Amino acid sequence: MSDVKTHSIDISAMQRSQQALRIEDEKVCLSVNDLHLFYGEKEALKGIDMIIPEKKVTAFIGPSGCGKSTLLRCFNRMNDLVDSCRITGEINLHSDNIYAKGTDVAELRRRVGMVFQKPNPFPKSIYENVAYGLRIQGINKKRVLDETVEWALRSAALWDEVKDRLHESALGMSGGQQQRLVIARTVAVKPEVLLLDEPASALDPISTLKIEELIHELKKDFTIAIVTHNMQQAARVSDYTAFMYIGDLVEFGDTNTLFTNPSKQQTEDYITGRYG
Amino acid sequence: MKMQKKSVSEWVKSGDPWVWLNAGAVAISVIMVIGLLLLIAVRGLGHFWPADVVQAHYALPGESEYNIAAERVESVEVSAAQLREAGIQIPDEHQLMQRTLMKTGNRDVYGSDFRWVIDEYLTETKRPEMLFTAERREWGNLYGYLKAVKEDGKIVSQTNDLTPTASAMATWQVFEESIERASKIHDAIHVIEKKDIGKINYALERIRLEQRRLELKGKLTPEAEADLATERGQYDEEYKQLQQSLIELYSQINRDTFIVQVMDGSVHEMPVSKIVHAFRANSMGVVEKIGFYFVKLGEFLSDEPREANTEGGVFPAIFGTVMMVLLMTVLVTPFGVVAAVYLREYASQGWVTRIIRIAVNNLAGVPSIVYGVFGLGFFIYFLGSGIDQAFFPEALPSPTFGTGGLMWASITLALLTVPVVIVATEEGLSRIPRNVREGSLALGATKAETLWRVVLPMASPAIMTGVILAVARAAGEVAPLMLVGVVKLAPSLPLDGNYPYIHLDQKFMHLGFHIYDVGFQSPNVEAARPLVYATALLLVIVIALLNLSAVTIRNHLREKYKSLEM
Repeated sequence: MSDVKTHSIDISAMQRSQQALRIEDEKVCLSVNDLHLFYGEKEALKGIDMIIPEKKVTAFIGPSGCGKSTLLRCFNRMNDLVDSCRITGEINLHSDNIYAKGTDVAELRRRVGMVFQKPNPFPKSIYENVAYGLRIQGINKKRVLDETVEWALRSAALWDEVKDRLHESALGMSGGQQQRLVIARTVAVKPEVLLLDEPASALDPISTLKIEELIHELKKDFTIAIVTHNMQQAARVSDYTAFMYIGDLVEFGDTNTLFTNPSKQQTEDYITGRYG
Repeated sequence: MKMQKKSVSEWVKSGDPWVWLNAGAVAISVIMVIGLLLLIAVRGLGHFWPADVVQAHYALPGESEYNIAAERVESVEVSAAQLREAGIQIPDEHQLMQRTLMKTGNRDVYGSDFRWVIDEYLTETKRPEMLFTAERREWGNLYGYLKAVKEDGKIVSQTNDLTPTASAMATWQVFEESIERASKIHDAIHVIEKKDIGKINYALERIRLEQRRLELKGKLTPEAEADLATERGQYDEEYKQLQQSLIELYSQINRDTFIVQVMDGSVHEMPVSKIVHAFRANSMGVVEKIGFYFVKLGEFLSDEPREANTEGGVFPAIFGTVMMVLLMTVLVTPFGVVAAVYLREYASQGWVTRIIRIAVNNLAGVPSIVYGVFGLGFFIYFLGSGIDQAFFPEALPSPTFGTGGLMWASITLALLTVPVVIVATEEGLSRIPRNVREGSLALGATKAETLWRVVLPMASPAIMTGVILAVARAAGEVAPLMLVGVVKLAPSLPLDGNYPYIHLDQKFMHLGFHIYDVGFQSPNVEAARPLVYATALLLVIVIALLNLSAVTIRNHLREKYKSLEM
């Protein structure tokens, strides 16, 4: 338990040291221009303009149904799976418009990986789960696979726990381990961006903390966008925070400013717990 | 203790009547199933037991007296009045009489091998040890006393005793040795006739077809003809050699004869080669009988039928049934799965898919004979004759695929069972959680890759459920098969050593049809009856085994992909 405590102190210390973040100084990874999204007649996103800075953690907060998960799922075109969904506007990954005609969606999803709310390992062995994305790309050399699997599992801080049972079913792992396995699986294909859709909401506090710790490690290599219901979590893990409300991006800025000195009344109401 | 009186309405409210009703329904079902299995098991399996042979004196009032030696088959009570009406003079004091069906055998001597007798008039019943039963390749069983064994027309051993004296036993010994020798030669002949000559005939037929093919193409040059002729010459030479050894074997097999005295006192001389088994049931102990029982059971499972299917085994029918079901499974599974994947995963859900689903479900309710007619009309007469004209013109006018055969039967049954597989697969696909599919797509897999690598493996237990239902339905189906390729006696198995090993165009035997044929088309109804039960039991067992193996595979898959229960 003492470990956990020291760790949370570390995070706040880190948060203090990052006070001088300015969005204008960041390299742009994803930029969103006037994005509208409709589910049938209902407009779920009402003209979003923002950027996701590279190698930083950007958190999306807001009450249920505000469109934060929907926006996240726009970044890897997961919304394509919904028949009634229609999108206008554009999202650029570096300089490529991902909604341009002729975009290879599978390739895009390789570059923009996603971890879901509920751990969803495949009914295969731990090893095969991590190797899945590589095998899809046609990589079948055992040496390459072995190396990548180990690297990915180490990145997800799971290697030491599972190295002796790589070929056992992934379904025998605990929920927290499964979620880290899913992260390892996503990391293994070396995406540029990691989208985390409430990655810890189905987990117990200790597993949650491990995931948060992991996010800190991963942002050295990846651009991370995370949706969370938990404002403390957003404050702990993110560099930038976006507050959304009923399809609008209300406020977007560096996390410290947003939580300590929000410029919009709505934001202040939300983070002080007046609704949501 | 105080008895609490409850009103009827209270009792109904308590739910007890429902429990009783449900439990009663289940109990009745279970009893019926067990009863059915027991009935066919008892009637069918009893057939192989070496029954005691009873010898007795039979004297119906007012008719001539005679001795009989027979096995008891079954007894029933009949009213004396009924017997009187049948012209038998029964004294007035009798009301009910016991009547017994006796298997007297010796069809070649008596003209029939079953006889009803009235127990009342059987006297001097005994079970003599030297009275023997001989199972013959023709004419059914023989019952009688052994008098002598001859080799090349010369008596080598003889006896006049009807009791197990030394001389009688010595003759019996010689007789048994002679049978063993004859059956070894018989097996050798069988191998040559079926296997070796079969192979040569097959090769000669191929050469004939080759020649005809070249002729049709106009490429039958003198050189090609000469080549074929030399090839044919080789086979002809081989055939002559085999023919020679056959002649030799036949002369050997017919060396021995035996002399038997049957119950009407007449004496007959018969070749030993006609005997399959000879045994003295009355002198056999229980252990000996059990051993003999299993030998007979083994023969039933592994031999070919004899005597218009009323004797011998049913191996070709077992083989044909299993082969057809396996082939059907191989055809129906991919087809059903692919159709279900399109319906559930790719087609946009709307009124068209709804109509297709309704149509598929209705297809499952179409009577199977309709499929048989369709198979005959479309597959055989249309597709089959088309295939013949395109690929086998050399064999015409005799059809290759333009007649019923294993392939068409399997395809027809696959068509019959495909709705079951489609419905089960769709059900399975719809139960795969969305987040697993999304997990795969988010890793850069395409929809097809996701289906192939994640969704279908996870749906495989459901697919297997469909296959199990399909197998259960197909294995028990007879009506459509009669139209598309099942015959009462197939000369060879659809799988053998001749290239291309599996003969999809061949007609085959089937247990279900065998039951129908033996039971209702047989000239010797009484002899065939136990075989009907035995074959029915066997069919049930074969289907149960096929199902059991499918269930085992499914459970294995379920264990592997049990995340569905998350």
